[in-house]
Formats: sequence, C-alpha cells, structure tokens
Amino acid sequence: MVGIREEMWKNRGILFNFATTDLKIRYKNSVLGVLWSILEPLLMLAVLFFVFSSMFKFEIENFPIYLLSGIITYNFFKNGTTIALSSLSNRSSLITQIYFPRSIPAISSCFTAGIMLIVELAVLGCFMAYFQFTPSLTILYLIPIYVLAFVLVLGVSLGLSVLNVKFRDIEFIWGIVLHAGFFLTPIFYRFDMLPEEIRNILQLSPIVQIVEMVHHVTLYGTLPTLNSILYSVGSVFAILGIGYLIFRRYQARIVEEL
Amino acid sequence: MSENSINVKNLSKKFRLYHEKRTTLYESITGSINRKPHYETLQVLDDISFNVKKGESFGIVGRNGSGKTTLLRILSHIYQPDSGSIETNGIVVPVLALGLGFHPDLTAITNIYQSSILLGISKKQIKEKIDDIIKFAELEKFADTKLKNFSSGMQMRLAFATAVQVDPAVLLLDEVIAVGDVNFQKKCLAVMQDFKKRGKSIVLVSHSSTSIKELCDRAMFLKDGSIEIIGNPDHVINSYENYMSKLEK
Repeated sequence: MVGIREEMWKNRGILFNFATTDLKIRYKNSVLGVLWSILEPLLMLAVLFFVFSSMFKFEIENFPIYLLSGIITYNFFKNGTTIALSSLSNRSSLITQIYFPRSIPAISSCFTAGIMLIVELAVLGCFMAYFQFTPSLTILYLIPIYVLAFVLVLGVSLGLSVLNVKFRDIEFIWGIVLHAGFFLTPIFYRFDMLPEEIRNILQLSPIVQIVEMVHHVTLYGTLPTLNSILYSVGSVFAILGIGYLIFRRYQARIVEEL
Repeated sequence: MSENSINVKNLSKKFRLYHEKRTTLYESITGSINRKPHYETLQVLDDISFNVKKGESFGIVGRNGSGKTTLLRILSHIYQPDSGSIETNGIVVPVLALGLGFHPDLTAITNIYQSSILLGISKKQIKEKIDDIIKFAELEKFADTKLKNFSSGMQMRLAFATAVQVDPAVLLLDEVIAVGDVNFQKKCLAVMQDFKKRGKSIVLVSHSSTSIKELCDRAMFLKDGSIEIIGNPDHVINSYENYMSKLEK
C-alpha cells in the first residue's frame, strides 16, 4: 500500500499528463468544451428538481442545495470509476509500446474526476450564494470527506481497470451498478423517508455514508456520528485493499490481453 | 558487467494461445464448468542468452513469429519473462513497428510530451528539445495536427525523432528504418553512427539483410524462439538466407 503512494509521487509527471490528456480527449471537438462538466450536473439538477418539487412535492429544506451536493458527490464516484474502467483498455497502443506502472492510468482517472469535482463544487458555491444560504463552518469538513471519497474511488478504480481488460462485459455491468446506485443513494430523497429495513441494508454502502456526511456538514451544520465515520473509513480502506489485491493479481499479464 | 548495456540470461517466455478467447464474465463462468482446456501454450522464447556491449549495434533476424518483437518487448519491460533474467543499464527506448505509443486524438506536440514523459524525461527538458524533434522529423507544418491524420511514414519519423532526442542508453528499433524515404533513412543512419560513437547501444530488428550487414557489429538469428547462431553479421545473414530458401522449397 505504501508502494502505491511512493509510485504516485515518483510518477507525478505522468499522472498529471494523463489527467490533463484525459480531460482534453473527453472534451475534444465539443463546442462547449469543459463547460460540459458544469452543464451535466446542472441539467440533472433541473430535471430532478422539477420532478420532485412540483410533481411529488418532497418536503426537503433547501432542496436545490441538497440535491446538487448529492449529485456532485455521486458524480465524483461515477466519473472517477467510469474513466478508470476504460483507462487501460483505451491505452492499448501506449501500453504495448512503452513501459510505465500499470496503476498510473487508474490513479490519474481519480485525479481527472477530482478536477471535475472542484469545478462542480464551485457551481455549488454559486448556488448557495444565489439562494442566500450560509453554511456553517462545518462545511470545511468537506475536505476530509472528499479525501475519503477519493480513496474509495481509487480502490474501485484499481480493480476495475484491470478487470475490464480481462472481462469486457464489466463495462456494462458497472454501468448498471452506477445507475442503480444513483437511485439507492439519498440524493433526491431524505434517507429517513425509507423504511428501516431497507435503510439498514443501504447503510452498508460507503457511498451512501459519504453522501450523508456531505449533507450533514453542508446543510445541517452537524457532524456525522462517530459510528458512521468509523464504518465509512473502515469499509473504504477495505475496498482499497481488495481493489489493490485484484490489481496486483492481474497487472503483470494484462499487456498480453490487450 | 559495466561494459555491457544489456545482459540476458536463460530467458524464456510462453504465451497462451486461446482457441476461443474468454473475454466476458459469462464465458469464463460457463467455460470453467465445461473444464475443456481452452488454450495451449506456445513457447515464444526458449532459453535465450546474449549480451550487448556499450557502443555496439546488435542485429536480430528471423522469420515472422520467431519471437523478435517479443524479445524487444521484454527488453523494454513491457512483457515480463516467465523465467531467466534481463539486466539493462540506463534508459531503454523501444521504437516498435507502430510508433511510440502515440494517441490518435492528440497532436504531434502533445504526443511528443506524453511519450517522452513516459520514457522518463522531465517536461522542462522536452521543452528545450521539442523544436529539434519536429525539425528532425520534418513535420514543421504538422506540429499541431492530430496523429490520426498522419501517414505511417510520418508517425514513424516522429517516433524515431522523439526516441533519439530522449538520448537513451539503449535504442531498440523494430523494422523502423524501412518506413522512411531515402533521405530520412540517410539521416537515421547518421544518427545511429553518432549514437554508437558516444558509447550507446542499438538493437535492430530487420528483414533487410543489407541494413543488418551495414549497421551491425554482431547479429543473432532467432529460429522458433531459440538462438540458431550468434556472431558475425555476414555469417548470421548467410545462415538465415539459407534457411529461408530451404523453407521456400
């Protein structure tokens, strides 16, 4: 595990280069360019806001901010893992011609998603200003929360990047998982609206925990419970461990499959 | 040890040859229930040992599928050997048949940056050299063109120019010189001579007997993954050509 950190530092030039080229290629030839990374969550927000504030009449305080902070957090997870998923299989010509550590594409995908997250957080800031919502100082806890989310994305990404070379249908399976996850995460509803049995199961998902934490510190000015913090940190690092093990098992022979 | 830039000892590599490649989860689940062997192993390299001295250029010949490119990939750490050891001194830069890992959607300049960074050069150093690279590759007009619009000759020129400017200790060339036009070939030869003079090594894979004879100090003939003969390029080429003409009959 220490190995990953050292490798990241030693190869920071490559990491940075991959992260920026990822963005360049992602928004190439599109008229609006990087604006898309702002527009996408905003359009999502508009649709969900319309559906749930006028059709279903959910009573959630500061609904637009509640909604947007959830979408942004979930997007970070979605963007990071989807970019990482194809990060090795898309670079087949590079990987078969130059040697570099196989973990770099997955790690750099997390940074790409991180850059997109920062842009989206700036939009959230604008929304807060527009709705004249003043968050309490607990909002600073977003930093450790997103660091934790980063570790989660990294763990999932490392595993997915090699698995997708081995099994090409991972891409479709993961797409479904992400879709289902969006509805099973308290993004457009409050978690306590769900019946308790379902809540008990969904709580096991670290992404549910992270989204809840984000709501706590941005909207309510409260800290998450100690239990939930301990559980999230534990489960996230367990996922990182599993992802790393999967990665280590397949990484050496992955070139031959490309 | 220190006078060699490459030491290879008892190197072996097997590949799995899939009859029906299982690339989906479904296939690998149903396949593991059937338990039929779905691949056989192919010995690509069998107990290879050789070394390349500093300042030496070393040729490799052999028919298609004899393991030449696999050997180059192992030398550049892209493939891991199954057994045996390789030691290399200094940066090894491979220019394999398709380029230097260029991305079709990036421009020539961004590709030069990406490849050189991957080969271990800092961004600052590349900045100083980028004009030289473009000039050497004769691509001044196309510096900001995306790679997908390049001809194969242009890509090869760009790859060679970039690799040379990285100034590696060992340069691995796989069928590279044949792609450029006559003038570019001359330029390549001059650069390679200069390389040798400065104590750097070149490993050259080629089907052209003349370029092996002209350029290489020593050569090796790979036959079905093992070394048939190694030594003086003229002898090696002779034995290779005899073998090939026998095959024809």
